[in-house]
Amino acid sequence: MSYLPCGSYFDSYREEQKWWRTPFIKGKMVLMVVLALALPYLVSGEWMSVAYTINYYILAALGVQLLIGYCGQITLGHAAFVAVGAYCSSMMVLFLPWPQPIVDAGLAYPISLICAGLLAGIWSVLFGLPSARVKGFYLIMTTMAAQWVTVPLVITQYVSQIGGRGHYFSLPPGTIKVGPWLIDSDTKIYYLSVFLVALCLLAMGNIARSRLGRAWVAIRDNDIAAETMGVNIVWYKLLAFFVAGFFGGVAGAFYITALSFVSPEHYEWFFSLLWVGIILIGGVGSIQGIVFGSIFVVMVFKLLEMGVLGLSGVLMESYPHLGWVTTKIIFFKEAAFGMAIIFFLMYEPNGLAYRYWQLKNYFNLWPFSYTGKGH
Amino acid sequence: MDLFLQLVMTGIMVGSIYALVALGWVLIYKCSGVLNLAMGELTLIGGYVCLSFYLRFCEQMSVASAFMLSLALTLVVGFILGRLTERIFLRKMIGEPILAVIMVTVGLSFFFKGMVFIVWDTDTQVFLPRIFSVDPMHIFGIAVGEVYFWSFIAAMILMVIFVLFFKYTRWGLAMQACADDEMAALSLGVSAKFVYALAWAIAFMAAGVGGSLLGNINGLNYSVSLLGLLVLPVVVFGGLNSVPGAIVGGITIGLLQNLSDGGLTLLKIYFPDFWWPVTIKEVGPFVFMVIFLLFKPFGLWGWERIERV
Repeated sequence: MSYLPCGSYFDSYREEQKWWRTPFIKGKMVLMVVLALALPYLVSGEWMSVAYTINYYILAALGVQLLIGYCGQITLGHAAFVAVGAYCSSMMVLFLPWPQPIVDAGLAYPISLICAGLLAGIWSVLFGLPSARVKGFYLIMTTMAAQWVTVPLVITQYVSQIGGRGHYFSLPPGTIKVGPWLIDSDTKIYYLSVFLVALCLLAMGNIARSRLGRAWVAIRDNDIAAETMGVNIVWYKLLAFFVAGFFGGVAGAFYITALSFVSPEHYEWFFSLLWVGIILIGGVGSIQGIVFGSIFVVMVFKLLEMGVLGLSGVLMESYPHLGWVTTKIIFFKEAAFGMAIIFFLMYEPNGLAYRYWQLKNYFNLWPFSYTGKGH
Repeated sequence: MDLFLQLVMTGIMVGSIYALVALGWVLIYKCSGVLNLAMGELTLIGGYVCLSFYLRFCEQMSVASAFMLSLALTLVVGFILGRLTERIFLRKMIGEPILAVIMVTVGLSFFFKGMVFIVWDTDTQVFLPRIFSVDPMHIFGIAVGEVYFWSFIAAMILMVIFVLFFKYTRWGLAMQACADDEMAALSLGVSAKFVYALAWAIAFMAAGVGGSLLGNINGLNYSVSLLGLLVLPVVVFGGLNSVPGAIVGGITIGLLQNLSDGGLTLLKIYFPDFWWPVTIKEVGPFVFMVIFLLFKPFGLWGWERIERV
């Protein structure tokens, strides 16, 4: 059978929980992988940076999705953990005296990537500790404090000063090497990002359908009930913070390949909120939602930029006093993002993932959909 | 000793502005249960509105009356904006989960910030000609900047007006009733919609005055919205749904911020070799808040929530 029928006809849980339940889904997945790999040949170089930015947002929002969508712990400070990962990785690559064989084999950066994830995870657990005692709004406050303590205090005032290079670590092109490949072009960064995103989404999907994921969902739905059922909520909450921090650290460590320098301004509070916005737009508690949300947000930013910059020539010619529009593009982006969040929360609270599910259902049931006309 | 007293004085006076902004925050939370993260942007808007009125008026009249008039007009604009915000964005969100409501206010903060910078640009703008003289004035022999003193007075007057409003007017009593028990208030004919709108209007007004006072101290730029964000440690300290808590918390946080910054400067002078951070003015209150949360999660006078399955 190539598509799922209405109702459940599985004989075993194993079959129901399978990744690829029908050949159709399998084909869709293979098509997606082929498309992702062939993208550099299909679009121009400018869009490569858009593509890996989308992938960076997916990686970073993954941790936020885990905490908010799966474990119910609202976090507004995830940029802190991404920053920890980025700084850990870039400092390890720049300052550690790596033995020559490791450098030759191109292992320095991959090792630093994993270390960055671990360090960010531990840092995240540190700020997740109050979650044992507080929740809701108060937990939001502690995660916000994580942002304020990490980025403006620890990183800007201490870590950035190491080596006396001023406020940022510059990463000259050709510093980062993965195996035999030197990551020096947008296309290679893109392939690295695709690899990492595939790996992390696979890991997340598998965690979500394991005992761990079920415990998180139980805590999200009702933590007191979960505790009475024997779920050790403190342990599982801290584990959620660790895994989320790990994904964040990997995201940060990945993105240094795309930045020519690492500086605190890449990890401002804005980004913490941006990633929460992404999962809200995409859909809370859904892995597809992260992907949809990232694509939506990055594309809206990009199209807005293209629209304004494309029109700027015309504007400048006929209305010279409107030149300020192009210089203020970043604020238009911010305002548009704010409106997008509000719009989605008011009119599409389940996010794009839900819309996608509805679309799939529509075709699944076609022509006998029972949802009535106009739905 | 002199320095210490000076720091205490200034701290209390800056703290009174925080208290004013926090009052608006607590009001929204008490009346409608919305946890507002856009408070920083509300102060920013208020500051800029007041500034543009002031720059328009100061050519035609004396400095003091121009500032008073623009402050009054800021209140009017704040009232209108507050009602509009509530009507357009927040009314639909009543009863939604906490994350959704918080993120709507976050979306609002992005929107407001973008709009403020589109309209007024990012450069630091100052109230010129100066409203308050640069020379310090002496209160009981302690030198205090004139700005701080008058801000304190203004914040206090406004707070007294608000408290009187809640205690003795019909609208204020309706708000109190709604905050106390919404269902009972509704059954007695209090309009919840009106109360929510009023709460937002008052929050906008308080934040607007706070923003224009803060803008007088160091000039108006993005950092004013960070100061407005300090309202969060304040309300966590005082308890989310306590008006006296907001006032005490505001003054405490202002005091703490000033004292820790002064202490840091002293430490830097006496032990220059240690790695002191450059500034802890913004971070200090948040660190304090986390430590405080671990011991007293419901603040000084907040209601303790007892949870059942």
